[in-house]
Amino acid sequence: MRYAEFTPFDLVLLAQGLGVTVGLFLATTLIGLFLGALWGVIRFYRTPVLTQFITFVAEILKNSPVLVQLFLVFFGFPAFFKLNMTPVNAAVITLSLNTAAFVYVIAVSSIESIGRDQVEAARVFGLTRWQVLRHVIAPQALAFSIGPLTALLVNQLQVTSLISVIGVMDLAKIGANLNLRTLQPFIVWTVVGVLYYLAAKLVATLGARLEKRLRAHSAFRGL
Amino acid sequence: MIKVENVKKAFGPVTVLDGVNLVVNPGEVVSILGSSGSGKSTLIRCINGLEKLNAGRITVDDFDVSKPKDLAEARKRSGTVFQLFNLYPHMTALQNITLAPVEVLKRPRAEAEAEGRALLASVGLGDRADAYSSQLSGGQRQRVGICRALAMKPRYLLLDEVTSALDPEMTAEVLDILAKLAAGGTTMVFVTHEIEFARQISSRIVFLEKGKLLVDLPTAEFFAETGGLAQPRVAQFLSKMRKD
Ligand SMILES: Nc1ncnc2c1ncn2[C@@H]1O[C@H](COP(=O)(O)OP(=O)(O)OP(=O)(O)O)[C@@H](O)[C@H]1O
Ligand SMILES: [Mg+2]
Repeated sequence: MRYAEFTPFDLVLLAQGLGVTVGLFLATTLIGLFLGALWGVIRFYRTPVLTQFITFVAEILKNSPVLVQLFLVFFGFPAFFKLNMTPVNAAVITLSLNTAAFVYVIAVSSIESIGRDQVEAARVFGLTRWQVLRHVIAPQALAFSIGPLTALLVNQLQVTSLISVIGVMDLAKIGANLNLRTLQPFIVWTVVGVLYYLAAKLVATLGARLEKRLRAHSAFRGL
Repeated sequence: MIKVENVKKAFGPVTVLDGVNLVVNPGEVVSILGSSGSGKSTLIRCINGLEKLNAGRITVDDFDVSKPKDLAEARKRSGTVFQLFNLYPHMTALQNITLAPVEVLKRPRAEAEAEGRALLASVGLGDRADAYSSQLSGGQRQRVGICRALAMKPRYLLLDEVTSALDPEMTAEVLDILAKLAAGGTTMVFVTHEIEFARQISSRIVFLEKGKLLVDLPTAEFFAETGGLAQPRVAQFLSKMRKD
């Protein structure tokens, strides 16, 4: 590709890239939150075998590089199982599972941080396990976990940039293309960086707001 | 009637309840005394189904707490008040009280709330319905705890050292309420270190020692030289408690 100046159309490209990044982030966040919370509930019910299996899968997902997981899903599994895999599908699968693994860890630790006395106080009045989870455990666990979840999601937003290596046209990939075309790495990567920063800041701000609301009953007022 | 028959409970190698028999009839206030570690809390936790028995049987109005399908009914008949209150911190006082009536008894929310407010008013907390537990004093929290149990209209109230986390003034607040309940005919199983209070409100007093029910006597007899006091362990325990 021949080198060329910036054009106004590049702004559209950047906006499209940002859209792809945010879209993938939102989709994988929703799937990841749902899956991770579901795994946490399965563990809460002490479902045998399934719980051990989930813990094992989460363990693997947490302790291996996302890039390796992405290559495995995009190149490895399709080759081995003779499947078709588009870059977007591979990205969604990998990032969702990765988010789910960390959501699971956060869910488990925040459920366990709620004293046994809370479960007992509800069980003695005849609430079922589900009612205890729904009315007593989940609201408190959620309030505990919003902080770590926000940190996780801010990080996962940055991690989405990895999918550019398998050809998804996200913000990082658009940045790479613009850079090749204009040979202006400083300007291109500064702009791309600022866009990531703004998106991350938005996630962090929303998380902080939600946390404040959910923890209204126990506002931490310093030591 | 609460019927505890030959109940044994061990935690690993430690036997905590060793063949306990106890009957609590409607209308009675039965206080359980005993030194620390004698198994009082464990007995209460067996009655409300929080601990599994190793042997024996406990029934609440003929519902066997060891049978999963009976336990729900048994639990509807007994209300527990905890030593450390165990309020749900994310709910207001009123929400703490209405949760079980709405979810378990399927009472309409408006009705449950009206009753909850009346209960709070009856313990002097009419204006604190919307306060969270972190905004209440210990005595106020325990009064909410009592309302939470009463809201289920239990036939039996199980109370495990409900004032031991409170200072004397707050203790008096709570004991006042319990005295009123006792006078009103509420059936209670009352674990306590408040000997004098137990003496005032109890119809019977039982004494637990190392997991065995050593003494089970009507209150007056329990404190008589020829009754409970004839047991050296009881005499020792009472004189020690009075000194403290
Ligand atoms: N979950 C448990 N695991 C192991 N041991 C336990 C458990 N719960 C109670 N115990 C033991 O059982 C014994 C009786 O405990 P329990 O709490 O019933 O005593 P208590 O009479 O209520 O004492 P206190 O007056 O101090 O409240 C103690 O030795 C205690 O260490
Ligand atoms: Mg105890």
